[in-house]
Amino acid sequence: MSQVSVSERAAAAGEVPVTRAPYFVRRKKGITPRSIAVLVFLTICALFFCVPLYVVVVTSFKTMDQIREGAIFTLPHIWTLEAWDHAWNHACSGIKCDGLKVGFWNSVSILFPSLILSISLAMVTGFALALWNVRWAGGFLFLLFICAFVPFQIIMYPLIVMTTTTKIYGTLWAVAVIHAVLAMPVLTLIFRNYYKDIPTEIMSAAMMDSGSFWRIFFEIIVPMSGNILIVVLILQITNIWNDYLIGVTFGGLTGQPMTVNLANLITISTGTTNYAHNMAAALLTAIPPLVVYFLVGKLFVQGVTAGAIKG
Amino acid sequence: MRWSRIAPQLALTPALAITAVAFVGSIGWTIYLSFTRSRRLPEYGIDWSEWGRQYDRLFRDAGWEISLRNLIVLGLGSALAIVFGFILAAMIDKEKRGESFFRTVFLYPLAVSLIVTGAAWRWILNPTLGAQSFLRSLGWEVDFNWLAQGDTAMYAIILASVWQSAGFYMALMLAGLKGINTEIWSAAKLDGVPLWRVYIEIIIPMMKFTFITCAILLSLGVIKAYDVVVAMTNGGPGQSTWVPAYFTINALSAKSNLGYASAAAVMMLVITLVVFIPLVALTVWQQRKREATR
Repeated sequence: MSQVSVSERAAAAGEVPVTRAPYFVRRKKGITPRSIAVLVFLTICALFFCVPLYVVVVTSFKTMDQIREGAIFTLPHIWTLEAWDHAWNHACSGIKCDGLKVGFWNSVSILFPSLILSISLAMVTGFALALWNVRWAGGFLFLLFICAFVPFQIIMYPLIVMTTTTKIYGTLWAVAVIHAVLAMPVLTLIFRNYYKDIPTEIMSAAMMDSGSFWRIFFEIIVPMSGNILIVVLILQITNIWNDYLIGVTFGGLTGQPMTVNLANLITISTGTTNYAHNMAAALLTAIPPLVVYFLVGKLFVQGVTAGAIKG
Repeated sequence: MRWSRIAPQLALTPALAITAVAFVGSIGWTIYLSFTRSRRLPEYGIDWSEWGRQYDRLFRDAGWEISLRNLIVLGLGSALAIVFGFILAAMIDKEKRGESFFRTVFLYPLAVSLIVTGAAWRWILNPTLGAQSFLRSLGWEVDFNWLAQGDTAMYAIILASVWQSAGFYMALMLAGLKGINTEIWSAAKLDGVPLWRVYIEIIIPMMKFTFITCAILLSLGVIKAYDVVVAMTNGGPGQSTWVPAYFTINALSAKSNLGYASAAAVMMLVITLVVFIPLVALTVWQQRKREATR
């Protein structure tokens, strides 16, 4: 038996908390020099991780005059919301200068249809693949597994053609639908892995009771999916909100999400750059996913690791 | 009972259609286009005497060569995120205090768009107003003007990527470390083996599966890297920070050269498969092993 399987079985059998407990208690008694060194190191690393956030926050409240002094880490002399107001209402993206609020509402209108489409499709598909005897399920799962890793560039042009011929190219719908399509393989695999652990007794009882695919789905499966649904929801909210490539490719000029507006703002090469405006815009874009993260951080970890490993 | 066979298959049709059209069909379409002379608009005739002309051009293109080199540089540089992630995870795992606090701090960059990450680091690395001028005002002669110089601009992108993804690898490593039987620690303590040797000789070999997973995820992420390049340098200065993803989209949107972009996209797919096949092999091997030990 190799070492890998030892650790796996330990995890599977749930031995971990049991064998760990005494260790934990013993360490808690006194603080050793080594603990202090480790904690100091971790704190320094944590500070390094916080530097960008700190810089972005303080810069967004500064006046441009203070920024020109070149002291990036100092707090603002005068706290001002001017940059926030400008970024929200007047920042330029391309030739239009209506601010990031346009992109914000675009992102919101992309987010909701895309969430509903991608999650409902993946739930139904995952359910059908996990609990019903579909003969080609194995082959299809393998195909989905491959699709989950395909680089976007290889299907980019055909997708542009398809959205153009269906006349949705350049609209919010194109972005939302493409998000749902591209997320389908990973999400289906996540749901399928979750549903396949449902005990067969439940399924056979349900089959006796009604036997209808859709009734079982809505009356038994959907109510049981609470946990995985939240994890997937968080994964998808952050994915869709933070996406740039799909938005810039399919959004045209009118369907651009917030990230595209932000990218236009920061990569602009003409004129002098107002860093206060840029940082306020960056923060505005970052706030929604950060709020989700700080509210439900643990589930976020589950979401990203599930998306990464099972995908 | 007949209905119970038809309904699930009906429910699967949308997913099947999407897979067939948006994935399999589209990949075939792009591969086909890479053999044509298509420029702005697709041309579907293939000139069989020189079907590989787009690839010929691609391999002789200095921009593609830069892209491939940058891909390797970015891959090696981002590997620091795995090393860093492991060190952080090991420390958090050994020192239980503040576990959830540190985890929250190290992982928050992952929740933020890479465009935001790029915007922040671009500002910090600003030579006249950013961290460089601040540190110089303290009397430290540092040179942080990475973004303006072609040979250092990739370092800036690596810095931003490592900052963004180290927490993710930390989370994966932490999960791996929690699966390790604690008797190993007590055994090592009894034998008087120093801690660093326990890590190097026992823990890391035990976690090889986690490390391989991280390495594969990292490679796949590196191949897809696009947003961070756009936000940090937009490919510049010159072509010095081009990567294959950037090259391909640039060929399609800026140069409107469809056949050429398709050839580059096919090469991206080939690179992905080279990384991907070990993953499949590993998963199969892992599953077999799990079944064998059961």
